Amino acid sequence: MFTAPASRPPVSPKETTLPQKSIILLLTPALLVVVTLFGGGLVIGFFQALGYQPGIEEQSLSLQHFITTLTDPDFTTSLGLTLYIALTSTLISAIASILLAVAINHWAANNKIIHFILQIPLAAPHLVIGISMILLIAPSGFIARLCSFLFAVDVQNTFPILVNDKWSVGILLVYIWKEIPFITFMLLTVLKNMGNELLEAGASLGATKLQRFFSITFPIIRLSLGASCCIVFAFTFGAFEIPYLLGQTYPQTLPVWAYMNFSDIDLKARPEGVALGIIIAVIVISTVLLSEYLTRTPNRNR
Amino acid sequence: MIFLQQIGTSLLSFLVSVVISVGGAFAADSLSWQQIEAQAHGKTVDWYMWGGSPAVNTYVNEYLRTELRERYGIILRQVPVQDIAEVVSKLAVEKQAAKVEGGSVDLMWINGENFRTCKKLDLLSGPLTNILPNSRNLDSDSLALLSDFGTPVENMEVPWGNSQLVMIYDSARTPAPPRTISSLLTWIQNNPGRFTYPAPPDFTGSAFVRQIFYHEAGSVKQWQGNYSKEDLKNAADKTFATLVRLKEALWREGRTYPESPVRMDTLFADKQVDFSFSYQQGSASQNIDDGIFQPTVRTYVFEEGTVSNTHYVAIPFNAKDKYAAMVVANFLLSFEAQLEKAKKDVWGDFPVISLVKADPAWKNQFSSLPKGPATLSDEELQAHQLPEPPAEVLIYLEKGWQKQVLKNR
Amino acid sequence: MKKTNSAQYTIFVLVLFTIIVPFIPLILWSLSEQWFYPAALPQKFGLRAWNYIFSTAGEQIIRGLVASFSVALTTSILSLFIGYPAGRALGLYNFKGKKFIALLLLLPIVVPPLSTSMGLHLWFLHLNLTEHFLGVVLVHLTFCLPYSIYVISGVFSDFNPDFEAQARSLGATSWQVFVRVTLPMTLPGVTVAALFAFLLSWSQYLSTLIIGGGKILTLPILLFSLMDGGDRPVASAISLIFICPVFVVLAASAQSLGRQGLRGIR
Repeated sequence: MFTAPASRPPVSPKETTLPQKSIILLLTPALLVVVTLFGGGLVIGFFQALGYQPGIEEQSLSLQHFITTLTDPDFTTSLGLTLYIALTSTLISAIASILLAVAINHWAANNKIIHFILQIPLAAPHLVIGISMILLIAPSGFIARLCSFLFAVDVQNTFPILVNDKWSVGILLVYIWKEIPFITFMLLTVLKNMGNELLEAGASLGATKLQRFFSITFPIIRLSLGASCCIVFAFTFGAFEIPYLLGQTYPQTLPVWAYMNFSDIDLKARPEGVALGIIIAVIVISTVLLSEYLTRTPNRNR
Repeated sequence: MIFLQQIGTSLLSFLVSVVISVGGAFAADSLSWQQIEAQAHGKTVDWYMWGGSPAVNTYVNEYLRTELRERYGIILRQVPVQDIAEVVSKLAVEKQAAKVEGGSVDLMWINGENFRTCKKLDLLSGPLTNILPNSRNLDSDSLALLSDFGTPVENMEVPWGNSQLVMIYDSARTPAPPRTISSLLTWIQNNPGRFTYPAPPDFTGSAFVRQIFYHEAGSVKQWQGNYSKEDLKNAADKTFATLVRLKEALWREGRTYPESPVRMDTLFADKQVDFSFSYQQGSASQNIDDGIFQPTVRTYVFEEGTVSNTHYVAIPFNAKDKYAAMVVANFLLSFEAQLEKAKKDVWGDFPVISLVKADPAWKNQFSSLPKGPATLSDEELQAHQLPEPPAEVLIYLEKGWQKQVLKNR
Repeated sequence: MKKTNSAQYTIFVLVLFTIIVPFIPLILWSLSEQWFYPAALPQKFGLRAWNYIFSTAGEQIIRGLVASFSVALTTSILSLFIGYPAGRALGLYNFKGKKFIALLLLLPIVVPPLSTSMGLHLWFLHLNLTEHFLGVVLVHLTFCLPYSIYVISGVFSDFNPDFEAQARSLGATSWQVFVRVTLPMTLPGVTVAALFAFLLSWSQYLSTLIIGGGKILTLPILLFSLMDGGDRPVASAISLIFICPVFVVLAASAQSLGRQGLRGIR
C-alpha cells in the first residue's frame, strides 16, 4: 500500500538523488516524532501489558495478560465479529466505489457539484453519522415511521432489526456510507490520469466493456484500490465509537472490549485492555504487510 | 523503555515546566471557614459528573454556576463524563503513579461501588463533611447517611441528594400495571418482547437486578448485616436463573439490551416496550414536560418497595482547588440550593437535608413544592423505600450478570 | 451526448440522495418538541433543543468548539511543518533504506489510535501531559503526521525539480526558491494535507478521551457525554453543531482549491 504515492513514475527521473546528509535532515523531525510517540506508545503499552507498573521496585514481567486474553472464550468471538465487520464493510465499499468511480469518470468527470457533495461524507465525523443512523433505521426510526404512515399499519414488529443487531447492519451502513467516497476519490485520481485513450484503443480492437474493465481499467486502479482498502480495513478494524454505539451488548468488537478493560474501575483489568490494544495493532500490521506482499508479486514491470 | 523515557523526558522537558502546576496542600483543619472562603475566591472548580441528564445539567450549569459566581466568586465548570467509574480508575492510576498534586478533578459526583473503590484505594481528601458549616442542616443520626451501599461514609463524601427507583408506564397503554415483582415477572412472560432493562453495570439496570435479587432472596434486612458467602451465592444464583428464564420474553429476546436508562426511555416512548424505570423519581414528569413522554405516562413503586439511595460529592486526593471545592460542597447543602434542586421543573431530587430542624418558612416552601403529573407524593415514596445492599453484593451481581445472564455460561 | 446527460443526472441524484438522507432525521429531531411514534413527522415543532444548547449548554459548546478547533489547528500546523520535508524526501528522492523508512513513517496510518494512546497514557502521566492540551495534540500528531506525509509525498512525486534548478540558476536564494517556486507549486497538495489532518483530529474521540481524561472537552467528548443515547432533540442539535464547522472548512477549501477539492488525497 505504501507504494501508492509513487505509483506513477516521477516526472523528472534525472534528479532523484540528494546528498545523504540533506535527506537525513529532511527526515529527522518526522522520524523523531513517529519513533518517540508512536513507537514509544506501543513499546510502553507492551511493557504495561507484560505487567510493568510504575513506582514499583521489583518488576515481574510475564506474558500472563496476553495468555489470559487470548485464551478467553470471548476472544475468538470478538475477533470473528471484528473481522466480519472490517472485511464486509471494506469489500462492499470497494465494489461500490469501483462502480461509482468508473461511472463518474465516464459520465460526470467534470461535474463539480457531484465532487463537492461526495466530499461531505469524508468530512462528517463518524459519531454524528452513527447517531443519525440510529434515528434513521431503528425499528422506531424515521424510515419505520414513514413506512407506518405510507402503509397505514404499525410496522414496528415487522420492521427488520438494523441497529444493535446480530449482523451489525447499522455499523456496516455507517462505514459504507463513510468509506465509499474515500475510496472513490482515491480511484478517481488514478482514473483521471489514465485518460480515455487506452479505453478507446481497447474498444477499437473489439474488446467488450467487461474485457476493457478487467484488462485496462482494473490493472491501473489496482494499487490505489489496494492502498485505500488497507486503510479502510485498518480503520474499521480498530475503531471504537461506531461499534460501541450501534453494536450488540454482547459480543463486543475487540476495540470496545479493550477500552472497557482499560477503563475498568478494577485496575487489574487494565493491563489486559492494553494487551488487547497491542494484539489489535499486531493483527492490523500483519494484515497490511501480508496484503502488500500479495499485491506486489504480479505486474511488477509498471 | 527506560531509553525511550529518557529521550522523551529530555525532548519534552521544556513543555513539562510549562505544564506543571502546583496545588496547595490540604490543611483545612488549621484554617477557619472564612479563610477557606477567602482562599476559594476566584478559583475554578472542575466538577466531574455523569452528563446524561439535561435536568441535572441545567441545575448545575444555570442555577449553581450563577449562584457560586455571585456569592463566592467561584467559577464552576461541569465536566460531563459518561461514567464516573472512568474518573475513579483515572485517579487510581494517578495514585499509582504518585501524582499527588495538581490533579484536574476538583469535585466528583459519586456513590456506591465507586465510593467504595475510592475509599479502599485512598483516593479522597477528607474527612470533609464535618468541616462544612452547612453540615448542621443534615440529620447526623440518620442511618441512611452513615453508610453508602454498606461502606461507612465517615465524612469522606458529602451527601447531596436522595433518589428512589420508580417504575414508569403509560396509563393509556397499560391501565393496570403489575404492582409487585412477582406479578411483573408474570406480566413479562405473558407479554413477550414488551419489557427490557439496561445492561448492568449501568447504574439503573443494576438497580433492577437488585430488585429481583431482593425478591428471590426473600429478605432485604439480611444483606444489611452479616451474611455468609454461601447465602449470597445461593440468592444470586436464583436471581440469575430467573433472569435467564426471563430472557426469551424480553425485548429482542434478550439478545441485546439498552445501554442506558435514557435509551430505555426512548424505547418506551416509541412504544417498543411498555415499561421504563428510573432512579430519578421526578424524571418521568420532566420528560412529559419536554414532550419526550406521552402526557398519560405515570409512575409507581412496588408494594414491597423499591431501592433508594443517597448520592454524594467527594474531593479527590490530588484536587487542584480543594478549598473552592469545599465551598461548592458546602453550598450544595444550603436550603436554597436544596430547594431549587427539589423543584419539579428543575430536577425533582429529594432534599438530603433534614427539615425537622429547619426554619418554618423553609419547611413551608419545601412542603408546598408542586409535583409533576407523574411524580408520586413524598409520603408514598418514603413508605416504600428499601435500602441498597452493600457494594460487594452489587459488584457480585454485576459480574455474575455479565457472565451468567449475558454470556450464558 | 444526451445519454451522457441523463446518466450524469442519475448519478447526481443517486449520490445526492444517499448523502443527504442521514441528515434529514437530525434536522427534524432537533426542531421537534413532540414526536411520538408512529407519526411520520413531528407533531409539534419547536426550539427546546436549540434553547438548551445555546443557553444551558452554551458555554460548554463554545468551550468544546474552541478546544476542538485549537487542538485540530495546532495538530495540522505541526503535521505540515514536520511532514513537509519528510514528504519531499519520500516523494522526490531515491535513497538507501527508503522502503523501510516509508513503511515506518506511514505505519501509524493503519495502527488504531487506541493501541498507541493506551500506552502513551502512562508515559504522559509521568510527564504531566495527560489532561493537557499539549498531550492531546501530541497523541493526535501520531496519526495526523503520517497522513500529511502520505499526501505530501504524493504531491512531490509529481513535482518537477527542474523549476527549482532554473530559479537557482537565475540567482534566487534557497528561501526565494522555496517561497516563489516550490511552495506555490505544491500549495494545493499542502492544503489538502492540512485539511486532512484537521478533519482527522476534529473527529477523534477515543484517543482524546484517554489522554485528555474528559478535561480537554472537545466536541466529540461533549457529544458522547451529553447525549448518552437519550434525549433525541438535544443529541441531534449537538450533532448538527458538530458538523457545521466541518462544512465551513470544506466550503472554504473548495473555494480556495477550485476544482481540485479533496481529490488530491491518494
